[in-house]
Parts: sequence; C-alpha cells; structure tokens
Amino acid sequence: MYLTEEEERIYEGELGWANQICMKILARLGELFNATKLIPISWAHGSGVSYKTLGDAPIAFLEALASAGGKAKVKATLNPQSFDSEYIGRNVGKSIRQKQLNVLAQFEKMGFTESLSCTPYYLERPKKGSHMAWAESSAVVYANSVLGAWTNREGGPSALAAAIVGKTPNHGIHKAENRQPKALVKLEAKLKNEIEFGALGAYLGTILEDKIPIIQGLSNVSNDNLKQLCAAIATTGMVNMFHFGNVSKKLGAVEKVSIEARNIKHTVESLTTASKSKNPDLVFLGCPHCSLSEIKQIANQIGDRKIRSGVKCWICTSRYIREKAKGHVEKIEKSGCHVITDTCAVVTWTEQLGIKVIMTNSAKTAHYAPTLNKAETIFAPLKECLKAALKG
Amino acid sequence: MPKTKLKGRAIVEGRCKAEALVSAKPISFLGGVDPADGKIIEKGHDLCGECVKDKILCFPHGHGSTVGSYVLYSLAKKHLAPKAIINQKADPVVVVGAIIANIPMIDQIDTTQLKTGDVVEVDACDGFVKILKRKVS
Repeated sequence: MYLTEEEERIYEGELGWANQICMKILARLGELFNATKLIPISWAHGSGVSYKTLGDAPIAFLEALASAGGKAKVKATLNPQSFDSEYIGRNVGKSIRQKQLNVLAQFEKMGFTESLSCTPYYLERPKKGSHMAWAESSAVVYANSVLGAWTNREGGPSALAAAIVGKTPNHGIHKAENRQPKALVKLEAKLKNEIEFGALGAYLGTILEDKIPIIQGLSNVSNDNLKQLCAAIATTGMVNMFHFGNVSKKLGAVEKVSIEARNIKHTVESLTTASKSKNPDLVFLGCPHCSLSEIKQIANQIGDRKIRSGVKCWICTSRYIREKAKGHVEKIEKSGCHVITDTCAVVTWTEQLGIKVIMTNSAKTAHYAPTLNKAETIFAPLKECLKAALKG
Repeated sequence: MPKTKLKGRAIVEGRCKAEALVSAKPISFLGGVDPADGKIIEKGHDLCGECVKDKILCFPHGHGSTVGSYVLYSLAKKHLAPKAIINQKADPVVVVGAIIANIPMIDQIDTTQLKTGDVVEVDACDGFVKILKRKVS
C-alpha cells in the first residue's frame, strides 16, 4: 500500500506514539484488504463506548492513546454508552458509573463529541458521496443505502484510528465498482409495517453472504421503515449496503432471489422467543434511536393513556432529537413512559434491573436480547408494543 | 519429513523463540480469553484451560467482536500476552490487537505443521517460522 511522505513520517513516529499506532493500524488493515492508499474522510463514528459491552480490557488502551495526545482530525461522533445520567444511571452501582464515565472522558479528551447515539445521521446528514469511517453497523448500512454516503463497516479500533489520522484505506465499498449489486431480490410480499421491514433485513442477512442486493418490489418505503431494514440486515449478515427501486438495464448476470410472504412471516415469528402467556417487563422502542417523526408518532398514539403497573416503557433517542421533540416528549412522559437518551436496552444493564422479557419493534434488538440481555423477546409492531405498555 | 522452515507474511515485526501453543480452532479474544490470567476460557475450545502467556500462539484465524483487539493490549500490559502470534489467515481483530500490543505476528503459515510443545523461532521481520525442536511425543 502506498503511503505519502507525510503519512510515512507519521508511521515512523514523527507525530508521537498515538498517531503512529493509528497509522500502523490503518496501513496494516489496508494491506490486509488490498487497499492501494489512504483517502481523507469527512466523519468518523466510533463504537465500543458502552462499558457493558466493552468490559475493562479497552480502558488501558483508550487512556494510553488519550494521554499520548491522540486527537481526532475530523468530525468524530460516538455510539451509545451503558446508561443515561437521569434515569438508568441513578440505578447502577458506583463502580459501573465511574468506569463508564472514564471511558467517555477518554473519548472526549481525544476530541469525540458526546453524541452517544447510533443514529449520527440525524445530528447532521452526511454529504452524498462523501467518504466516512463509521463503526455502527446499522448506521453504516443506512448511510450507504439511504443517504448515499460511502463507508465500510469499521470496528471500534479502526474507526478510532481513522478519526485520529483523518483517513481510511480505500478498500471495500469506498470503491465504486464494489458498490454494484450482486444479487437481485424480488420481493413477492407487501410489507405492512416496520417489523416486516426488519424481518426482511434479518432474512436477507442470512442468505446473501457478502453479495450487495438490489431489492425490487418494496412498498410503504419510508426512512423509518428503511432504518429497520438496515439495522436488521447488518445484524444477521455481512453486506454493508443495498439498493432498492428500479433495476437499471445495465444490471448484468446476478444471483436472483425471491422473497415470499411466508419467509417474512416465519422470520417475524422466529424473533419472538417468549411464550404467548408472558407479559413484557420492558417495552422498548428506539432501536436504532428514534427519529423526530417516530417520537411524534409515539406521542400521538399514546394520547392520554397511562402506563400499566409492573411494566417499564423506554423510548430511546439522541439528546439532539429529544430536545427537538420537547413537546412530544412531555406528552410521552406524562404517560409514565421514559424518553431516554445516550443509551438503549441492548447496551444497558437490563439484567441488573430485573428485566427478563423485552418487547420491541426492532428486529435488531429481538436478535441480540437473548444473548446480550439474557432476556426473552416479544417482537411486535409499535401499536401492539404500546398496547402492552399502556392501559386502555 | 515435515518441513522445519515455514515461509509466511510478516504482519507485526519482531523476532523471538518460545514454545508453541497450537489450536485447530479460531480464537475470539473477547469472551474466549480471560484478560485477568491469560487462560483460554471458551467452552469446548481445544485449548480451554491453557494459558497463552509467553507462548507462540498458533491458530487458524481470529473471530468475534473487535473489542478482542483491546483484550490483547490488556494482556500485554499485564505481561500475560503470547510472545508471538502465528495465523493461517490474519483477520482485522487479531491484526489490530497485535499492532497495539506490539506482539510479533506472521500469517499465511500452515499451522497444522506445528504442534503444541514444539520449540519455535519466529522471525516476523523476514516472515518465516523455524521449528527448532519437535516435542517428543
């Protein structure tokens, strides 16, 4: 892989250990994936912020990097952490609190903004065609497929290195030729709601391997529904983008896949693990974090209803959207539901809070909750989730 | 006669000599290796219960979360890291881990040629592995 003279000097340590180690990470990964050079990025989004999923191992490295003067050279945002300060943060132990706050402090020292959201694209829409290094898989697919920005699926360390160097190796879908569809997906079913978009993603992820699909026959397309498809396809699979809409005549010989209603139905059913008689301990909406329109929709659907006893209802979003949706948030919180920022059910301490059954409209959460939360799942659309949470 | 010098690709530079610890299975450092004592803790793994400290750790490739890279760094800080890593096919998690922990690493080596207990020389500058002494079985 070619490094410019300036990059060589960083590689040799001229700007200190922090920059050197980050340059080494990018150069070696680049070689591994047959990149030819580094390209400038406009934005890095880091994962591995929640102390619950990180554990203690990374803390020493983050501290070393931050104290050696590692500083992001480009816009750098962060994934959710393991609690919010207002609600869940008050119910976790002191040691957990301190460790989480330390992780966040290291990232801040390195110039990352406290965005703490898996939907950084609501804070600012990335420019079409701009190169980025994002590590949140659902946001990676959304950026590539819905917003038209270009990013590979980075890991926590490689996104961190990219932020500090301000560049990324030009492999994978940073190259136009690698963004072409390799599979034609014919959707024979009409998707009714967000959970069916999620189920389509979860199903496609398991059958596509690394082949980028073009999906034909999508109806009820909205950004919120597409977001569910993006999150789910990244959860079960390796593809980092999809195309949808009309098939161009240039589409060459590609694999053809037909998706029928029974595939969607079966996937929806498989994402519920709890038996029918069980009630949720937690109704969780906002995976990925809610958009302004979703908060508005939730507020309207809740109306004057109040929360049932024995159930919690969390609606997770970013601080930015919470602030923008103030009036709706007040309405939601009057019901006894909580609008929570900075975290989500998957990366917070649900087990410690005694939550054993999670009901959600997110295929991603339904996929992860049995292992990451040791919880049973009920996978259902928004309307049913709210019905389970609220009286009347 | 098995070959005693195996040619591979240098990933993280360094030279060392030590005993090999060889696995036929991929290793996930997150959840698979205890950062407190360097022991492999993944249930059903062929190295379960073994300690990676000061060994030439040989396995096909890594898998699992990218947080695994940080586990290697944390092992190195506590002097519990392997002396070198030999892979068949390097993957991003182990490569990043070896870089930040400064553990010599080579890939494109047929790790089935190596046996636990062999004394091995690793040259991760020129990219080769020499078997100095076979374990007497």
